[in-house]
Amino acid sequence: MSLRRTALKLLPTLCLCVTLVACGSGESRVVQGNRNGILHYGNGTEPQGLDPHIVTGLPESHIVRALFEGLAVKNPFTLEPEPGVAQSWDISEDGRTVTFHLNPQARWSNGDTMTAHDYVWSWQRALNPAMGNQYAYMLYPIENAEAFATGKLQDFAEVGVKALDKHTLQVQLVTATPYFIQLMDHYSTFAVHRPTIEKFGQATDRFTPWTRVENIVGNGAFTLKEWKLNRRIRVEKSGTYWDRDRVKLNGVVFYPTENISSEERMFRVGQLHYTQTIPLDKIPVYRAMENSPYVNAPYLGTYYYLLNINEAPLQDVRVRRALSLAIDRERLNNTVLHAANVPAYGITPPGTLGYQPPKLFGHDVAAARQLLAEAGFPDGEGWPGLELTYNTSESHRKIAVALQQMWKDALNIEVTLSNQEWKVYLDSVDQMNFQMARRGWIGDYVDPNNFLDLFLCDGGNNNTGFCDPQYDDMITRQAPRAKSREERYAIFYAAETLLMEQMPFIPIYTYTSNHLIHPSVRDMPSNLMDSLNLKYVWLDQNWEGAQ
Amino acid sequence: MSDASITDIAQAEQGTSLWHDAWLRLRRNRLALFGLGILVLFITIALLTPWIAPYGYAEQNLDLGASGPSAAHWLGTDIFGRDLLTQIMYGGRISLAVGFIATAVALLIGVTWGAVAGYVGGRVDAVMMRLVDILYALPFMIFIVLLMVVFGRNLLLLFLAIGAVEWLTMARIMRSQVQTLRQQEFVEAAVSLGLSPSTIIRRHVIPNALGPIIVYTTLTIPSVMLLEAFLSFLGLGIQPPQTSWGLLISYGAETMEEYPWLLLFPGLALTLTLFSLNFLGDGLRDALDVRGSRD
Repeated sequence: MSLRRTALKLLPTLCLCVTLVACGSGESRVVQGNRNGILHYGNGTEPQGLDPHIVTGLPESHIVRALFEGLAVKNPFTLEPEPGVAQSWDISEDGRTVTFHLNPQARWSNGDTMTAHDYVWSWQRALNPAMGNQYAYMLYPIENAEAFATGKLQDFAEVGVKALDKHTLQVQLVTATPYFIQLMDHYSTFAVHRPTIEKFGQATDRFTPWTRVENIVGNGAFTLKEWKLNRRIRVEKSGTYWDRDRVKLNGVVFYPTENISSEERMFRVGQLHYTQTIPLDKIPVYRAMENSPYVNAPYLGTYYYLLNINEAPLQDVRVRRALSLAIDRERLNNTVLHAANVPAYGITPPGTLGYQPPKLFGHDVAAARQLLAEAGFPDGEGWPGLELTYNTSESHRKIAVALQQMWKDALNIEVTLSNQEWKVYLDSVDQMNFQMARRGWIGDYVDPNNFLDLFLCDGGNNNTGFCDPQYDDMITRQAPRAKSREERYAIFYAAETLLMEQMPFIPIYTYTSNHLIHPSVRDMPSNLMDSLNLKYVWLDQNWEGAQ
Repeated sequence: MSDASITDIAQAEQGTSLWHDAWLRLRRNRLALFGLGILVLFITIALLTPWIAPYGYAEQNLDLGASGPSAAHWLGTDIFGRDLLTQIMYGGRISLAVGFIATAVALLIGVTWGAVAGYVGGRVDAVMMRLVDILYALPFMIFIVLLMVVFGRNLLLLFLAIGAVEWLTMARIMRSQVQTLRQQEFVEAAVSLGLSPSTIIRRHVIPNALGPIIVYTTLTIPSVMLLEAFLSFLGLGIQPPQTSWGLLISYGAETMEEYPWLLLFPGLALTLTLFSLNFLGDGLRDALDVRGSRD
């Protein structure tokens, strides 16, 4: 018995040895990929799904944007909108009417022509309350879209979307929306293929088999070829995409790389061209390298802890502020985070198209202790306990462990940690089944509005219970009517001040993007959105000579 | 015959007990003694940790960060500047407790179950062993995960849950041992003397089946310790800042290139424990195996 067990235990080791030997003698995936034009892409987590009107995560968005394309796409170098499915668009004088002229060459991957009707139907689906689309609000600038999405309006004909003819789509906006064209590159505004979806159920059925490899029909530069759960997702260059001559890659393989240490190791042994991130402890090592593959760039995203303000003890604003004031963000960033990020004191990243968020507080242990005492917990006495939920990941754990101790030292309170697998964690956050939960928000378009509208009463990603009509009024009524950018930003500033006084979340840091990129990868520039446009990317076989 | 001579004979017949005999033999096995010594040392340290640990187990020093072994921190510090020696000492408390308690649970259930099934035989045996087969067929990881999700995170429950799935193999080994022993003359003799089945199982069957059981036990303890690390990694076991050797090793493995000591020292502690258990297990088997004894 014991012998057999030992043999069984040795088996994986043996297999590993065989694999290692096999890798050592053959050429690496990256070398092979460079020759065949296949990009090997570390994609973070296994995607939850591929339906553009359901998914919310960053890993999903990378794949969805390879398989689908919006009316307008972002140029990866300038972030300016450029033609996608629409070859051009006109904006009326008052800014309230946008007319898209669809490219007659735009095709679905099964050969069907793309029409303006596809968009009318898809946006009805995206906005349908039964769809449960968390990004439905991306389309709220459209007239009556919000009323339809919240069930106040039943008839979609009243929503400001019209197909004037097969290739002309006219959109009526509530008010001039400077960032509306940018939104067309967000996957929740993408068109989906009606016959395919209806073949597998109602338009609004969630997670039907239409997104499976054998069924899915998209309109992007790539088509889905293989989806091995927790192994890889392989896409190939599409033969029907209108701009296929510009697409240089023959395919992309997306790997779920939840464990960032293994991801880094995979990169090092030539299994990946690109990593989603880099283990914090490796940053100093890569920084010191010559011709380092490490790329660090400012990024439009904020890392914060959601507070469930319906639950004790967090319903007391003094407790929320005490928790926030007790954190030494500078020290956290300089030690555990290896100075890779920027400490945050608001929700909006500083410098979002010229907007600077207010900084109302700093690290102040004395004030934090005072606030906690006023709330009835002097020196942590009578503290009922607090649980912090985060999704399983080394970097989240490190921050949580460091903050846990900061709170213990500063306020003498216990905070327990609970890590959950990504999908479980998403569920907990959606259903507000937590006290304090880690959250990151990545900008969908470059505008402070994208961060501030998170905390509207009915914001799909609010998840804190925070609701202030005055705040809603500033963001949804006053700001869009502002005459100038200065006036608009002044309203945003006042709104964010109000938000941070209530502190329904604890800001921790502003993201920077950190990637390892193989030197053979070309035209994949860093930008504030960390926006990936695979259409531009190519692999240089002679990269060693080029250096 | 005088009264005195009867007592003399009784004393002569009593001789040395099984345990005393085994101890005498074990004492001659140096490796086993070494193992026993290490285990006793580790257990003592674990028990005394709250009083002898050089630092508080959650005490951080972020500005220090990860540093190698030094005079202030004998085994170095982790990325939060926490003393590694302290972490290992506290981790040992959890790991040893999980290892021994969960194994004891498995041992208790498995040995009883197997002994009863094997000794009674017939239909009772068939039903009991089919139940074991069914439990074997359940993916045990899912079983534990389910237990933890339903009843919530609780250290004691963790011990019980792991023990509750580890007893199956133990029951099978015990049953096969008992089936062979049941045919032996000394058991038949005990039956004809009119001893009750439970006395026979306790006095005659179990001591004779101890060899394989002990060996299997020493194999179970390490696998239970690793299982605990796996569960904790999934978020179902213990949570930071509490720690265990398994968790320390899994964190250390992530940064083994930058900070090798974070893997090396917890790894050493675990390895040393496992070796000691194996040496002691081998020694105990030899010492307790009456049949294979040299004298």
